[in-house]
Amino acid sequence: MQTSKRHFLKCTGTLLAGVAAYRLAYATAHPEAKPDAAKQYILIHDQTQCIGCDACAIACRQTNQVPAEVSRLTIVRHGPYGEYPNQQYHFERQSCQQCENAPCVMVCPTGAAYRDPQTGIIKVDDWKCVGCQYCIAACPYQVRFINPVTRAADKCDFCAETKLKQGELPACVQACPTQALQFGDSLDKDAQVRKTLNSAAVIRDNESLGTRPKVFIIADAKGEVTI
Amino acid sequence: MSAFHFDSLVWHWPIAIYLFLAGISAGAMFFAILLKYACLKQTAHESKFILAACIIAPISVFLGLGILVVDLTKPLDFWKILVFYNPRSVMSVGVIILMIYQVFMFAWIAAVYAKPIQTWLGLRFTPINKLLTWLAQQHASITGLLLILSLSLGAYTGFLLSALPGYPMLNNPVLPLLFLISGLTSGAAGALLLGVLLKGQPDSKEVKFIHKIEIPLILVELSIIFTFFMGLVLSGGQKQVAAATAIGAGFWGWVFWLGIIGVGLSVPLA
Repeated sequence: MQTSKRHFLKCTGTLLAGVAAYRLAYATAHPEAKPDAAKQYILIHDQTQCIGCDACAIACRQTNQVPAEVSRLTIVRHGPYGEYPNQQYHFERQSCQQCENAPCVMVCPTGAAYRDPQTGIIKVDDWKCVGCQYCIAACPYQVRFINPVTRAADKCDFCAETKLKQGELPACVQACPTQALQFGDSLDKDAQVRKTLNSAAVIRDNESLGTRPKVFIIADAKGEVTI
Repeated sequence: MSAFHFDSLVWHWPIAIYLFLAGISAGAMFFAILLKYACLKQTAHESKFILAACIIAPISVFLGLGILVVDLTKPLDFWKILVFYNPRSVMSVGVIILMIYQVFMFAWIAAVYAKPIQTWLGLRFTPINKLLTWLAQQHASITGLLLILSLSLGAYTGFLLSALPGYPMLNNPVLPLLFLISGLTSGAAGALLLGVLLKGQPDSKEVKFIHKIEIPLILVELSIIFTFFMGLVLSGGQKQVAAATAIGAGFWGWVFWLGIIGVGLSVPLA
């Protein structure tokens, strides 16, 4: 059998390209194998109950020691809609969507952005993060930022390091005066969040991107379609 | 909101310069290889244009990487990017390509200039002499791998940006090809310019050879730009909006038509 150097390089190159393409396709098709996933935390924001009081955002800032110039959670006010005196605002929660197929985890060169297999929460390893900001650019929800204290990427982690560690609900859920936020484990058959998911018309932001967010929305009936 | 500052901007202009420098390095190396392999053969080390490419390639890639490190929020932690890898991250794969590319770039330059360096060293530093002889023997394999690596480096910068789902204009399959061709032509232009400045002959066979490849590449680049924007317009929605912002009326429209299409691509063709 004749094997020239050129032939060898050609075959090796093709093989490597094939393996790389296969691995990528496999990884995309099977986001996370989760037989050992103990929990899958989700959050439901009921816009029909939200009054835009910002109590959640303030509680989040206090609990997680978020510096003033950045925020993990913001409530954006849209509107007013309708004719006076029947006018309504519409409140949108902006925070990490805890995507199952997270673009930030995909692009992070060091693995500092990762999905905790035990809880399904997307977390940041401050030490591993070098601050390239690729995750901030990749996040289609624009909720990541550089924490001016740690110089690492930061964002909502459902209070994993603060409230959840103490066995409590996330700060925003506790602070909400109208019960517009529901938090729980979607793998638990008896959880309230699961009943809500099965009974209410929930949507997710930018579903077409295939990110499979774990923050669900019960949309406000007062729409914002301009004709 | 202005042309240089807007909400969705994460990577500022230094990153654009890095992407440009990486493309130039890849392009200069690509044309140096073609020049030696298809035109000059054994006399490559005498050519001012090969010399120009061998100066431009390392300097631009080092400068680019320097910018990249300084632009991190934790520049002193840059080594972590070399220690921890994520095979699904374009940036991580790019770091691997950049590292291997630099090794082979220096190996190739050393192999091309092996004889002159050995003459200059004389009988001193035997290990270096041995290494140079060995590199010169391995020249064929180094050339082949470096050619693949330079093409990978040129395309990687495009993949880096097309992996961003939040940017309708960049999240585009044609982008890596456009970056590759643009980097190759920029590298060729850089090598030609510095070659002439180093007193290379503007009507030499090297210049003719580079033009014979570069001019068709510019035509391909124009058709890829056309495909790129047609793709955006036909996709509709935010992609169409992005295309209008880039090439419609407004600051960036002027930059595109006058700068890129006019000065960048049409003038060299004329």
